[in-house]
Amino acid sequence: MRNPLQTPFAAIFQNEVRLNSRRVAPYFMALLCAGNALLWWGWGPAVGRGLAINSDFVIAGVLPIYSFLTLPLFTAVFMADPVSRDFRDGIDPLIFSKPISRGEYLLGKFFGNFFVLACCQSAFVLMWFALQAVHKQGVTTQQFKVIPYIKHFLVLVVISHFLLAAFYFAVGALTRNAKIVYGLGVAFYPIYITYQVALLSSLPRYWKLALDPGVMNRGNVHDRERTIEWMNQVVVVYEPDLIINRVVVILLAAIFLTIVYLRFRITERPVKVEAFSVLNLTEGAGGFYYDPPSTEPSLVERFEHHSHEKVLLPGVTRATAGIRAHLHQLFAALTVEFRLLRAERSFVAVMPLAIFLSIFEVAFYNIPPDVSYSAAYATNTAKLMLLFLLGIAVFYTGEAIHRDREVRMEPVLWATPAANNVLLLSKFLATLVLTCALIFVVGIVAVAIQVLRHHTPIDLHAYFRVYGLILLPSTIFVTAVVVLANIVLRNKHVAYVFSIGTAVGLFYLYSTGYNHWLYNPLLYQLWNYLDLTGAGSNHSIILIHRIYCLAASVACLALAHILFQRKSTRRVMMDGHLTDRGWSILLAVVSITTVVGTGWIISSMHAVALP
Amino acid sequence: MLKIRELTKTYGGNIQALKRISLDVSPGVFGLLGPNGAGKTTLMKILATLLEPDAGTVEINGFDLISRKDKARRLLGYLPQDFGLYPTLTAEQMLNYFAKLKGVTDKEERRALIDALFERVNLSGARKQRLEGFSGGMRQRLGIAQALIGQPQLIIVDEPTAGLDPEERNRFHNLLAETAGEDAVVLLSTHIVSDVSSLCSQMAVIRGGSILASTTPEQAVDQLKDSVWEATVPRERVAALKARYQVISSQMLSGQARLRVIAKGLRPSEEFTPAKPVLEDYYFDLVNQRERAN
Repeated sequence: MRNPLQTPFAAIFQNEVRLNSRRVAPYFMALLCAGNALLWWGWGPAVGRGLAINSDFVIAGVLPIYSFLTLPLFTAVFMADPVSRDFRDGIDPLIFSKPISRGEYLLGKFFGNFFVLACCQSAFVLMWFALQAVHKQGVTTQQFKVIPYIKHFLVLVVISHFLLAAFYFAVGALTRNAKIVYGLGVAFYPIYITYQVALLSSLPRYWKLALDPGVMNRGNVHDRERTIEWMNQVVVVYEPDLIINRVVVILLAAIFLTIVYLRFRITERPVKVEAFSVLNLTEGAGGFYYDPPSTEPSLVERFEHHSHEKVLLPGVTRATAGIRAHLHQLFAALTVEFRLLRAERSFVAVMPLAIFLSIFEVAFYNIPPDVSYSAAYATNTAKLMLLFLLGIAVFYTGEAIHRDREVRMEPVLWATPAANNVLLLSKFLATLVLTCALIFVVGIVAVAIQVLRHHTPIDLHAYFRVYGLILLPSTIFVTAVVVLANIVLRNKHVAYVFSIGTAVGLFYLYSTGYNHWLYNPLLYQLWNYLDLTGAGSNHSIILIHRIYCLAASVACLALAHILFQRKSTRRVMMDGHLTDRGWSILLAVVSITTVVGTGWIISSMHAVALP
Repeated sequence: MLKIRELTKTYGGNIQALKRISLDVSPGVFGLLGPNGAGKTTLMKILATLLEPDAGTVEINGFDLISRKDKARRLLGYLPQDFGLYPTLTAEQMLNYFAKLKGVTDKEERRALIDALFERVNLSGARKQRLEGFSGGMRQRLGIAQALIGQPQLIIVDEPTAGLDPEERNRFHNLLAETAGEDAVVLLSTHIVSDVSSLCSQMAVIRGGSILASTTPEQAVDQLKDSVWEATVPRERVAALKARYQVISSQMLSGQARLRVIAKGLRPSEEFTPAKPVLEDYYFDLVNQRERAN
């Protein structure tokens, strides 16, 4: 009997899992889902009401919302190009020349990617499951549970995304255009909300339940008609309407997969052929056949033959030394790095998602204005944005640092007369520009919401103050640390684990009360708006802390430069001048001294403030 | 003029990739010929400032390439054996980027240079195309275009024709031949003998990390004058002839064997006729001699 693990389907399935394990999106998504779980657990609607966080009712109530909020975009990212990637990379002839059926190929691709997607989604329930063992004030926990997490996750999340995944996969495989799928991913929210408002809202409850593929019309944790005791004790049983809904969803997904199976062709699309036929690159080589060496024209013959048609290269002036030339190279490298960052596939999903979730509270909830509406909006969006800024800094910096090696550009780039700091700083600055762009866009959207909700007047200084003093230095620090981590560890996955592990550990320390200024570079829970205006008690310490943070960033960058694998010279001085290495060592010494000095001041101020 | 003296490189403490190599290379195309694993790429990487040697010196026009890597890179054009390009950029964006990194700051000059480079490598029609759609030959041509930016004095080309079809290989040969007329040292590393015979004015054979010979292709072939013979013999005699003479090639033709042998100073037997020596004969003779000596 044939071993099921040795079938072509299993081979393709495993290969898809392996390919996904080397992409940034799965790790980012898992991290986001786990972070989301942490927020729902510690600061969600069940907290402070006596509602048990691991009760059947809460788990079943939260999962559809979790499924709706962030996951459709990631489903689009995962399912957009498993098939078109093979055609794009030119692997299709190698695959289709093997004894593999169309069904095995398509199903292997689909289930391989869907499996990874579901694993990433499960980070939410795994985190919740683990948090049963953690005690926090205001969070009620019942006795340890396992089954409700698995059951509700499979029924309420996985099956819903099975349909979405099948749809996106079908579109991606048939059009071989990932951008169409990304567009559909972004369009999910307006379409789904319109469907809910225009069609489902007027229907009776059982129809609402049966016709809603996202199962958003079930009971929720904000239900005020039920008592807390009832909600803690109830065991959620799936109604027939819901079971029918789930069966229909699976059948619809099967229909999409059948359509792909029937319509999919392994031949190249005609439009591609036309695109390539435009290029006439065979000029001058017509009728040439390989001859034995003895009959090939000699160098002199060849040179004489071509000299009449040789294109002379114009002379150019070159400048590779001096600050001006240096800045010119840096700007060129930065432009390319930023262009490459923008071309990252996950970018399409991450940026809209980050903007949407950062403005979520100011757009849909009433934010009490302590000082002013602008101050409240800026403070709220800054706090929500922090997680994304961290994620972007960690993942995109890792990508940028290792990209040259991965695409085998490193030898060509490293042989150019660009200084090491050009190659390193361009990657650092590209990520920084990206995060600044996010901060800027969120600020603009927040101001627009303020205007739309008539929460005027607009105080732009509030935004500049919060974003400039809190977000920007924090982002600079995190990005610099990640640059150093990637240079030292030389493996982006190890650097991801290091960065995420450190961040999780620190946030755990902060949440348990160990929140000292010296190891809280992001000032998490250590500031409020009044502190930034000078009216609060922490104004001076925050300003010194920002210097501390920026000096630490410079130290990290200088160390990264010293430890960079590409060597130019080991000397510190040459021809009576400091070399790049010499400057880095000097900068590292000065910045570390500043860190120590400001750290000592912060410690003294903190000690004075404690009594 | 490129001067390499006593260059030594050992990997992991026991794999000696280069054994005290010394070479003098004057402007023109210099072929470095050797089998896979001979140490060619190690030598190329050291010359391209990507690898640190254990000992030895390298000078280009009197300038120390090992201790002043930052300055040496201004004189370099490098096309590695295995290289990639950013797939989401266009060919023009890529060349523009390299030109800026090489210090061509003037916009007009850069544009003129890039236009001329595209013209020379016959990629003008593809300049706006994304690199992900480039064939192997197109990538190699773009690779040589980036190496030519900024009038380099030392152009290092590592196994450039491996994997190219005959048409692309011919086109690439033309490009290198054109470059040879521009007073630069072009160092071509290859394991394809015909690349050297059709392109190089000087050559060296490297094997096991040592230079076996440094000469010109003409001199190399001259050394085998009146020493190469060909004959068609019955298949059963092949083993005996192989035992007595150095057989360079044997082809089977309708039950008989067509042999090409090296026999210096005497005709192997009546059926053998003199053949015009080619560079392959020299290369195999040299390598076989070294193997016998070992």
